[in-house]
Amino acid sequence: MTTYLIRRILLLVPTLLGITLLTFLLVREAPGNIALMKGAGGENGSRAMTAEQREAMIKLYGLDKDPFTAYAEWIGRLTRLDLGDSWVDHRSVVAKIGERIGLTASLAGSALLISYLVAIPLGVIAAIKRGQVTDRAISFTVFVLYSIPSFAAALLLILLVAGGDYLNLLPMYGTNSINASEMGRFEWLWDRIQHMILPVICLTYGSLSYISRYARVSMLEALAQDFIRTARAKGLPERLVILHHALRNALIPIITIFALELPVLISGAVIIEEIFSLPGMGQLMFASLEARDNPTIMGITVFVSILTLLGYLLADILYVVVDPRIRYE
Amino acid sequence: MNQTNFVHESYAQRIWRRFRAEPFARNGLWTILVLFAVAALAPFLANSHAIIRVADGRVTFPIFPSLEPIEWRFLLYVPLAGLAWLFRRRLFARPLGGATFLLALVILIEVWLVFHHVVNDPTNDRDRPAAFKLMPLVPFSPVETASEPFLPPSWTHPCGTDSTGRDIAARMLHGARTSLSIGFVAQSIALSIGVTLGSLAGYYRSWPDIAICRLIEIMDCFPPLLLILVAVSLFESQNNMFYIMAVIGLTTWTGMARLVRGEFLRLSGLPFTLAAQAIGAGDLRVIVRHILPNALGPILVAGTFGVASTILLESSLSFLGFGMQAPTPSWGDILGESRLYIDFAWWLAFFPGLAILITIMSYNFVGEGLRDAVDPRLRIK
Repeated sequence: MTTYLIRRILLLVPTLLGITLLTFLLVREAPGNIALMKGAGGENGSRAMTAEQREAMIKLYGLDKDPFTAYAEWIGRLTRLDLGDSWVDHRSVVAKIGERIGLTASLAGSALLISYLVAIPLGVIAAIKRGQVTDRAISFTVFVLYSIPSFAAALLLILLVAGGDYLNLLPMYGTNSINASEMGRFEWLWDRIQHMILPVICLTYGSLSYISRYARVSMLEALAQDFIRTARAKGLPERLVILHHALRNALIPIITIFALELPVLISGAVIIEEIFSLPGMGQLMFASLEARDNPTIMGITVFVSILTLLGYLLADILYVVVDPRIRYE
Repeated sequence: MNQTNFVHESYAQRIWRRFRAEPFARNGLWTILVLFAVAALAPFLANSHAIIRVADGRVTFPIFPSLEPIEWRFLLYVPLAGLAWLFRRRLFARPLGGATFLLALVILIEVWLVFHHVVNDPTNDRDRPAAFKLMPLVPFSPVETASEPFLPPSWTHPCGTDSTGRDIAARMLHGARTSLSIGFVAQSIALSIGVTLGSLAGYYRSWPDIAICRLIEIMDCFPPLLLILVAVSLFESQNNMFYIMAVIGLTTWTGMARLVRGEFLRLSGLPFTLAAQAIGAGDLRVIVRHILPNALGPILVAGTFGVASTILLESSLSFLGFGMQAPTPSWGDILGESRLYIDFAWWLAFFPGLAILITIMSYNFVGEGLRDAVDPRLRIK
């Protein structure tokens, strides 16, 4: 196991190099650059840069270097955990990501938690009531939910419950109300929770339907095993058979897919943050793409890919932890 | 005793029989076919020009000169594909001959389209007097700003109008073309790459396998939307339909490659593969003629689910404003435009959202039905 782990961790390095090289070249070789964006003029009456000024700026940001040299330099700084400074506001990329990661993490985290808490009971009930009306109703609902695009759901939810012509129960945009700074601690928290309800719902239902479908199949497989028949034959109450014998075994594959849900949730958060105007990683990504802020784009890529790679690794380790029959050599 | 037990049934026939037995899957397939018909006939369902117009003693068909090349493509290729399928036995009695014939037809159409001149006539036939005229179902074109903005659904505008007074129903009908063709073409690109790389990795193992697996891992570590967003937003000037298709295809092939690799690893150890190799069949022949047909079922299933997720991806991109450039309508575009007016104009979000939902659900139902038909062990009643 230890050897396996060490090998897996070492294999992360070439993968990460591949990801960053691909993004680096893509971002660098794309038409347009920061000097053109900043030097275009026009905004608040400023004039466009002269050609010399633009040249100087290109030189300043190292955009005149050959892309592979630039990549090597960037990697050199990365090994010292230095992601550089943003080209837009010259603050460190790590700090920029740091102040936004909390929101995205809490969004994705609560979405993941809620989907598991709802999806597992749903899947288990559907499996127990297999073929009956309850099962069909749950399966169909989950299937429809699975097919609704999250942005369409977000728009309709805003329209229906958040300040449209219909119900006005929840706030529409942002993380807090305007007067948040005057609120007491609990009032502030309540305000924040109200703002997060809709984004979390939109982010949750997709993975919820995926996990509950998965949970149902997994539970059905567990219920078909011989030891379930044995448990029933020796006269255990049905509740015990399901909760202790079947569910415990069914949980193995369900738990391990959480790592695979991570990149999906991050993608989802990008859209949801955009719709609800939440200042998270997704918005930062959009802003830096628009401004051609290469260091920030690269910083986010590194951050997200390391997270994803660790997720996959964690999934593999969890397999072993929850199922002693699996061994890695 | 019972003779029918011994009637020969091919693999494809067996899958088709099991597939047809599932009501959801069957209806899903019908819905998709109807959607494709709508996409092909969109210019005849929603147009400001009349289909037939009789005036001054002359009979004219004002709709035809205004058709864009892409509309001609849909109009000609969809029936062509249908006919080819109907007459597949006769057409492919000699496979090479049939393929040549189809290719010649395609080249003929494309060459004609190159020289074809589109007449851009801004007038509409709605108000023009005529002795007789047959207007399309929705007498508006998707780009004309003919009406008041923000009209709620009514008899004239069944799905309302948008912020510039364009008819939503017309935009939706034409948008079906974008969404469906992107889903189909992008997934075909992903499928070709995935099948090629997956079969190479699974068949040759050793270093091609290691290299391809690493590539798959690299691609997989980007959250699905992120890489596409980077590619699309950086090359914004080239955002035409084919660019979007290519980007989506080039970034979503990994699932297919994983699947094909797994199938090839399994199948290349089985006796029939060894037998083919033993009688001296070349690698290409073993891969294409012996192993691939046996892996076709799962590939088809994954491809169908893939189309659904591609359509979702395209609509997310359009929604975020990174999709195709206006005025090419797409369902995601209409949804994206509706964001600013969502507090009162529900029809702007409801109809395109419903269209996307129905399309994705149909594809998912078909995928589900196919999966059960391909592998009955997975069927859970």
